[in-house]
Amino acid sequence: MEPSDLARFEAAMLPHLDAAHNLARYLLRDDSAAADAVQDAYLRALRHFGGWRGGDARAWLLTIVRNVVRSSRAETGVEFDETLHSGDVADRDPAADLARRTARATLAAALEQLPQEFREVIVLRELEGLSYKEIADVTGVPVGTVMSRLSRGRERLRRALSDAAGAGA
Amino acid sequence: MTHRDVEQRLDAYVDGELPESGARELAAHLAECRDCTARHDALVALRSTIAAQAPYHRADAALRGRVRASLRAAAGGGQRPWLISWRPLAAAAMLAVVAVGGWQLSAARAARDLIAGDVLASHVRSLLGEHLTDVASTDQHTVKPWFNGRLDFSPPVSDFAGAGYPLLGGRIDYVGGRPVAALVYGRRRHFINVYLWPADRGATGGPSALTRQGYHLRHWTTPGFVYWIASDLGTAELDQFAVLLKSADVAAP
Repeated sequence: MEPSDLARFEAAMLPHLDAAHNLARYLLRDDSAAADAVQDAYLRALRHFGGWRGGDARAWLLTIVRNVVRSSRAETGVEFDETLHSGDVADRDPAADLARRTARATLAAALEQLPQEFREVIVLRELEGLSYKEIADVTGVPVGTVMSRLSRGRERLRRALSDAAGAGA
Repeated sequence: MTHRDVEQRLDAYVDGELPESGARELAAHLAECRDCTARHDALVALRSTIAAQAPYHRADAALRGRVRASLRAAAGGGQRPWLISWRPLAAAAMLAVVAVGGWQLSAARAARDLIAGDVLASHVRSLLGEHLTDVASTDQHTVKPWFNGRLDFSPPVSDFAGAGYPLLGGRIDYVGGRPVAALVYGRRRHFINVYLWPADRGATGGPSALTRQGYHLRHWTTPGFVYWIASDLGTAELDQFAVLLKSADVAAP
């Protein structure tokens, strides 16, 4: 690879290192695993840089980060079941535990306890400001699924927070 | 419109993702339904809680160094010298095209491109280094006077925290061969750099929207000032921010 190609890659992709790390950290919930995934994702992005069509660099990079995370997990092959997660929130009651923490930690914990499919759309929407279309591209699901996951994820989060507030009162 | 319809579309509504007709219909329902308004308000409150309190996990310097080192190693290792020979030819051909085309570029266009390059470089520098602001303050009445005596003009400074774009501070930067005012705004965990200087010198033509290296740039000129803004925000939010800035410029004395 030419030095100028590397420079072009770095200029386009390094500004999004924080976004890449943030997504990896939210998906993996572990600092060192997230750092490894980010490094892998950048190397993979460099190899496939020729395939980047000059669209939104951040969305393109985040797609790769997500793919690296999912393949690095040696997943069990169990597909996320949309219907299974559509019911009520109370699998268990984390409220008593959550109530002892500060508001900030409460939110962080509630986010971490969401199923990954909900967590990732919330991170991409609320922390990265991606459009539904961009989130659909990054996560590889239809826009309608993005919309319903966001809605259900937020509903769970809202309930977890109000449960925690109730237990703290 | 039933409650169920509203429930299914409320998220898309607060995300600004409903088509205009659907958004109008939903707004009309909200105006007369207390239950749905309560849901709507809870959703808006949740979104601002997340924006304000969710941790954003930045990459630290160690990871940055590690990623760059591994990229360098991978790029060096992948070198295939026998493929290189055509590249200088292609580059020479490209330069020839640029040279010929250059004559046809209007002076204004060329000046604009030079300034866009300066703006982009300054924006990237401000994010990579520690030097984002010389004066860090969310108070426009602190930031504006700070420029007095440091610049030969007084830039309009407004805070848009109410709209979700808080002022973070300002600094002096160097764009297009002159010192300019740079104002820094935040949006969630992203930054927007606003560059401005008096419009009588260095006017650079009409409004433009550019995307370079993954960053979006916007440029326009008011009677008073030349504006450039740069950010990695999405274009929809950046344009929304531009509208705020323009209306503040009009309102400025």
